[in-house]
Amino acid sequence: MRGAAGGLLRRALLREPRVIVRLAAWSVAEVVPAFAAGHAVARAIDEGFAAGRPVTGLAWLGVLAAGWLVAAVAARQILLGIAAVVEPFRDDLLTHVVSRAVSGLGAGPVVDSGAGSGVLGGGDTSAVARMNHQVELARDALAAIITVVRSFVFTLAGVALGMATLAPAVLPLVLTPVLLGLVSFLASLPALARRQRGFIVADEHVSASVAAMAEGLRDVVACGAEPRVAAAVGRDVAAQARAARALARVTAARTLALALGGWLPILLLLGATPWLLGRGVTAGVVLGSLTYVMQSLTPALAGLVQGLGVSGVRLAVTLDRILGGAVPYEVAGPRRPPEGAGLELRGVAFAYGPAAEPVIDGLDLVVPEGEHLAVVGPSGIGKSTLAGLVAGVLRPSEGAVTIGGVPAAEAEERSRALIPQEAYVFRAVLVDNLTYLAPDATEAEVDEAVAVFGLAGVAERYGSHTVIDPAELSAGERQLIALARTYLSPARLVVLDEATCHLDPAAEARAEAAFAARGGTLIVVAHRISSAARARRVLVMDGSRVRLGTHEELTAASPLYADLVGHWAGRQPLSAGPVAQDADLPRRPQPA
Amino acid sequence: MSTADALIARAARHSGRWLVLLAFTALAGAAAELLLPMALGRALDALTGTPVSGAAPNASVPAAVVFVAWLVALVVACDVLGVLASGVSGAEAAQWLRRRVTARVLAAGTTTTRRFTTGDLVTRAGVNVEEAARGPEAVVTAASLVIPSAGSVVALVLIDPLLGATLTAGLLVVLGVVRAFMHKTTVAASGYQEAQAEIAARLVGALAGARTIIAAGTQDQEVHRVLAPLPRLREHGLSLWRLHARAGVQAAVVIPLLETAVLAVGGLRLAGGHLSMGELLASARYAVLGAGLGSAVGYAGRLARARSAARRIDRLLAEPALPYGSRRPAEGRGRLELRRVSVRVNGSPLLSDVDLVVPGGCCVAVVGRSGSGKSSLAAVAGRLLDPDVGSVLLDGVPLPQIGREHLRRAIGYAFERPVLLGATLGDAIGFGLPPERRDGTSPGNGLPSSGGIGPGWRSAAGRVRAASQAACADAFIRLMPGGYGTPLSGAPMSGGQVQRVGLARAFAQAERVLILDDAMSSLDTVTERQVSRALTGSLAGRTRLIVTHRVATAARADQVVWLDGGRVRAHGTHESLWNDPDYRAVFQGAS
Repeated sequence: MRGAAGGLLRRALLREPRVIVRLAAWSVAEVVPAFAAGHAVARAIDEGFAAGRPVTGLAWLGVLAAGWLVAAVAARQILLGIAAVVEPFRDDLLTHVVSRAVSGLGAGPVVDSGAGSGVLGGGDTSAVARMNHQVELARDALAAIITVVRSFVFTLAGVALGMATLAPAVLPLVLTPVLLGLVSFLASLPALARRQRGFIVADEHVSASVAAMAEGLRDVVACGAEPRVAAAVGRDVAAQARAARALARVTAARTLALALGGWLPILLLLGATPWLLGRGVTAGVVLGSLTYVMQSLTPALAGLVQGLGVSGVRLAVTLDRILGGAVPYEVAGPRRPPEGAGLELRGVAFAYGPAAEPVIDGLDLVVPEGEHLAVVGPSGIGKSTLAGLVAGVLRPSEGAVTIGGVPAAEAEERSRALIPQEAYVFRAVLVDNLTYLAPDATEAEVDEAVAVFGLAGVAERYGSHTVIDPAELSAGERQLIALARTYLSPARLVVLDEATCHLDPAAEARAEAAFAARGGTLIVVAHRISSAARARRVLVMDGSRVRLGTHEELTAASPLYADLVGHWAGRQPLSAGPVAQDADLPRRPQPA
Repeated sequence: MSTADALIARAARHSGRWLVLLAFTALAGAAAELLLPMALGRALDALTGTPVSGAAPNASVPAAVVFVAWLVALVVACDVLGVLASGVSGAEAAQWLRRRVTARVLAAGTTTTRRFTTGDLVTRAGVNVEEAARGPEAVVTAASLVIPSAGSVVALVLIDPLLGATLTAGLLVVLGVVRAFMHKTTVAASGYQEAQAEIAARLVGALAGARTIIAAGTQDQEVHRVLAPLPRLREHGLSLWRLHARAGVQAAVVIPLLETAVLAVGGLRLAGGHLSMGELLASARYAVLGAGLGSAVGYAGRLARARSAARRIDRLLAEPALPYGSRRPAEGRGRLELRRVSVRVNGSPLLSDVDLVVPGGCCVAVVGRSGSGKSSLAAVAGRLLDPDVGSVLLDGVPLPQIGREHLRRAIGYAFERPVLLGATLGDAIGFGLPPERRDGTSPGNGLPSSGGIGPGWRSAAGRVRAASQAACADAFIRLMPGGYGTPLSGAPMSGGQVQRVGLARAFAQAERVLILDDAMSSLDTVTERQVSRALTGSLAGRTRLIVTHRVATAARADQVVWLDGGRVRAHGTHESLWNDPDYRAVFQGAS
């Protein structure tokens, strides 16, 4: 983690050495006034105003003003140089965040049904928004750090050089306290960082617990749990206040360090003035030295203390947030094309954790190529887990799942396709969504798929140029797009995991028929019993046992299946036209 | 004084002596800072022997320098203590405000969430509290900034009116530049934020499609797709930087030029013999201090923000609390009575004149099309909400007279989309139990318990377990990585599973009345049937009010209340109502 942060920072700084060189060159130009100020003021007074030659005095001040203008131009170039460093840094961070979120998707357990899945949760919007915010914070913090460190280093060098040429005797009087202040500040930095981190974390805890309270308010009231929740939120609030007080204490200590480096040189200069005058230093030179300290050095030191104290810590904390907590995910090995689309499960067991009871235990199943299999059973029994195992999304804890002789997790992705309940449609034109798994599909093939799945309406609505906003589509339309996309794909093993649950029964029947006619192996996790009736064979999952057979065999042999058929279908014969959209059909005769 | 200002004042009082310390250090520090340039100038004059005070140079040397040293010490001490005091007083005020906000949100209950979204509440309790808590500090700091800045201008005028005029002219330029910059940035920032939002939206979409992407192995393709707007983002970012560079540099160069201008004018006066060397030094310092007036104006802005934040908090604190009585419910089996109940939201009626009696231990189904007022009826029946007109009684006692503990122990709710709270799954199910029950130490607290209490219902753990079994949640919970001890955050569940945990929570909690608001809609038929069996079996002793879309559920209930447009259209058994085609049609459109 540390290494990752270091690597990113190094890369940001060393990506283009030219930028850094330019930055340094402009920094030299920027400290011209820091270098010139003392000289100019000293000369303006000693040779000009105090000597009765005001024009000379004005000329020297003109030189100083010109110096400031040069510095202004330099400052502009420096800011652009910093932008050239931190903008790519932001891009790196964003790329990192997105890659990890997307590539790491396979790492966490993907559980039953489309709702809430994966390590980052099923589209946790607020987590994404927070991440975006953190990236911005990190960029701004890096920019601030580069600004203050650079400014301090060059200002210090400029001032030191200026004073060395003006009156070398003054140099130790100024530099010693500045360095002392700097050292004591750097010594306090780790404590400051800890406190600041503590405060940021406490603040996030409060936000999270207030959000949880607000979101669950109805439930809190219904449970009469107000005192408990108030106490819980109160604990987080108190912890935040503690963190804020601790932060205030170390910030006060930091202020002391700044005072040491900023004010002590002035007192020392004043105290040593008689001695300096005795060594031939003029009054103008003393004023010039004071100008150096008050105008350039103290502000630069204050900037450094403030900048490092706040931005440095913020950068560390946000980078930690962005890069930390990474779930290491396995890099997939080389994928192999399976020989055929036959499926075999041998002694397969799967549990969602070492302490959890297995969802699937000792499952043996052979699905020959070209089979059309339906999987039925009560919710939560492991149907989606089975779909995930078959599609290679999950790895069995025991036993083996093979597709065409190749372990499912090693089989080429294009050889199989899984459509989950929550259809994935992304912001792009319809054709891009449809050819997602088949980039080479011809226009005629796409048109055919559009026709087969009844997407003509959607195609007409959006045309070929309008980007689809998935939220505008109905759940059923999204499922149709996912189905058509998979239909176009080269996959020979297709798993529909309740992929038609938002379609009306007629459209569902049409979709399943299209896949059955398409060839290859088809596995349908059934949402309605009618799906099972269409399949050649049915797998009934009932906790500890599974049963495999035809619809008729199982109706006779499996009490659970008979029960399911009874409840899904009511007294109506299965073939009697479209059924209502609800899975739960009335058990009474319906009005026509 | 407005209520918002009063709120800031009360928060300030809660930071107590720290705020006094802050005020003291700020004022003392400001005074010291104002005196310092003059003292520096005097010291310099004394040291370099410029005859200003008339005293012999050598005699006054230590005194002048010592005075400067004392002033510096005072400035530093005030600075350090001020930073401490401002941090601590802000923390105290924020803590007090947050506690009040939390208490009020909880007391006001569900009406709050109707008016404020979660994000809004988090903002009010977070950023707004922080800003309001800084209100007192902003007043003090602004004052302490204004004193030296305004004082500097005065001091400059006193030293030489010409210097004062020079500085004032320069200050106007600074303010103009800052204002122009603010305007341009807001315009340029929107393009940047749009690109940013698009990347976020694409990422959210990709995460929602996780299963599809993993199965298709298209992760790399997705990364490219999500990051497609990145070049646009960088372009907008760089143009923001360019703008910033121009305006920022303009502002940064003004102060040194101002100082140089003051030096030049002062130098001329020095040459003319109107100014001493020390006075010149003092003038330069006063010019810099005076330029700080700009940041004092910034603090005035902070004060304005604090006031508007306080107004936002105040609006939240003005939410009326749901008051509770102190009575226990009378002896009884959970008879619910609604008398001429009406509920309105923003003037439009959700329920009108509903009269309903649910005998104790009876199971009543509430049916109707969406928008017919079913959820409002459920909310009123268990006092998630008080009706605008009419009253609701539990075993003859009006609900508002019953103490909160007693009321909530008596009535349990399950929702269509329950929000699960608590640390673990077991904790979430026991969330409605009193604390002594939740940790299982002392079962029973004298509350009368109605029927259906088997041996498993006695201890808290047993209650949670038995309730989970009744809700068909026990089996899948035991499949979780840590069983009942699985942290909620580490227990990804489907909609149906969440519903079952929500049902279990209600079963564990309710002593007399169970209110199920469409709480079984995501269950498959078999599971729903099993839960229904428990409702008519082990839970049959309790009064049950079940909002449902399903015919089967209505058919199993003792009575059906049919709502239409916020009124009771009919009330009777399912069989007697079934002959009405309109009644049958209620279940047709359901999904």
